[in-house]
Amino acid sequence: MGDSVSSEGDRARFATVVVPHLSDAFALACWLTGNQSDAEDVVQEASLRAFRAIGSFSGVNARGWVLAIVRNTTYSWLAKNRSRDLVAIEDIDGGGDNGRSGVEVDSAASYDPESALMAKVDAIRLEAAIAALPMEFREVLILREVQGLEYREIADVIGIPIGTVMSRLARTRRRLMDSIRTDHA
Amino acid sequence: MTNLSVSRSPDDRALLVHAYVDGELDPANALAVGRQIAADPVLAAELARAQTLREVLRDRLPRKALPPHLLPRIEAAVGLKSVGLKRLQHRQSWHALAAAAVVALAIGSASTWFVLHQPASDRIAEAIVDDHIRGLMAGPTDVKSSERHIVKPWFNGRIPQSPRVVDLAGEGFPLIGARVDVIGTTPVATLVYGRRLHVISLAAVPDAAAGERAPVPVSTKGYNLVSWSENGIRYYAISDLALGELQTFVRLFKAA
Repeated sequence: MGDSVSSEGDRARFATVVVPHLSDAFALACWLTGNQSDAEDVVQEASLRAFRAIGSFSGVNARGWVLAIVRNTTYSWLAKNRSRDLVAIEDIDGGGDNGRSGVEVDSAASYDPESALMAKVDAIRLEAAIAALPMEFREVLILREVQGLEYREIADVIGIPIGTVMSRLARTRRRLMDSIRTDHA
Repeated sequence: MTNLSVSRSPDDRALLVHAYVDGELDPANALAVGRQIAADPVLAAELARAQTLREVLRDRLPRKALPPHLLPRIEAAVGLKSVGLKRLQHRQSWHALAAAAVVALAIGSASTWFVLHQPASDRIAEAIVDDHIRGLMAGPTDVKSSERHIVKPWFNGRIPQSPRVVDLAGEGFPLIGARVDVIGTTPVATLVYGRRLHVISLAAVPDAAAGERAPVPVSTKGYNLVSWSENGIRYYAISDLALGELQTFVRLFKAA
């Protein structure tokens, strides 16, 4: 009796805490795994994890909680199924921006040719450039630009300091801008 | 508060430009970084690129929609039988589900007394949260427009009194549209605003229906809720935004 009551309660909580965020969960999984069918598997597995852990949900920021579970599930899922995609990246936040540390001296602020070029990029190129980013860069970009999370929330989802979120996001944008520019050249 | 912008390398200053674009700096640092950008073409170029990239990502990336078969599969996996995608398109079914969930929670548990004895305004807050959640799942608006001269008249004939509709796009809270929620038997005008990718529902409940004033919880089911009364209307603003930003929205709405 006790068990069935608590699992009824868990289901009710799952319906209000997790289900509303499944679209966002799926979008995140798509961007992180790179394809829809893997994303479906990840979201289903993450949902089960969330259901089992629903009792530990603090009641604050359901979306962030769900996205953190999806993110962690993606990592373990990729490790199991596609471990070659998870190449450890040394020192990704320690500067050393592969030939482009610092900002290049550029034209005047009012007209920036690089921005103008970037503004013409089409969705397919953009998607390919994002897919080519290493996982650690891609996740911070997607959490910010697609999911609209604040730095604090991103820090919680990934489990890194807020200052690291800032520097990683800046480096990710630079990489992306570089790759779009190279694409066009 | 620390001053982030002095004695930093050029690269660090460029990083701060990104935090500036994201609105993540406190006012003093935002001011300082803003000045540096104005004085330094290198930083200004970084700003222009970061802003362009943000716009391009926002406007051109394809949306990844939840495949219709996935939700039933997940519900089956956790033993949730009562929700199906079809039901999400019908508000009544969603309400029925929410009610069933509350009953399921109450039966045989120590919380029965609490559920049955909540003050009226708490039940209204609960209903508003449920409507917001339903909106996130099935689409938050019945009329979709950023134009308040379209949204306000839309309520005519649907609701006794059109709510106050203000435009806060300039402040970063664009109007998305509106819907009518039904709380108990009272139709309630709900405006929908956006903040980046977050959705804010603002429900306007006539005071008569809102009943006695009980303190409204600040956070419920993972959503933040801010409530206030104004000219016989009780407003409820709900979102998954951080509480501080939701309070900013409320302050701007009141002042508009």
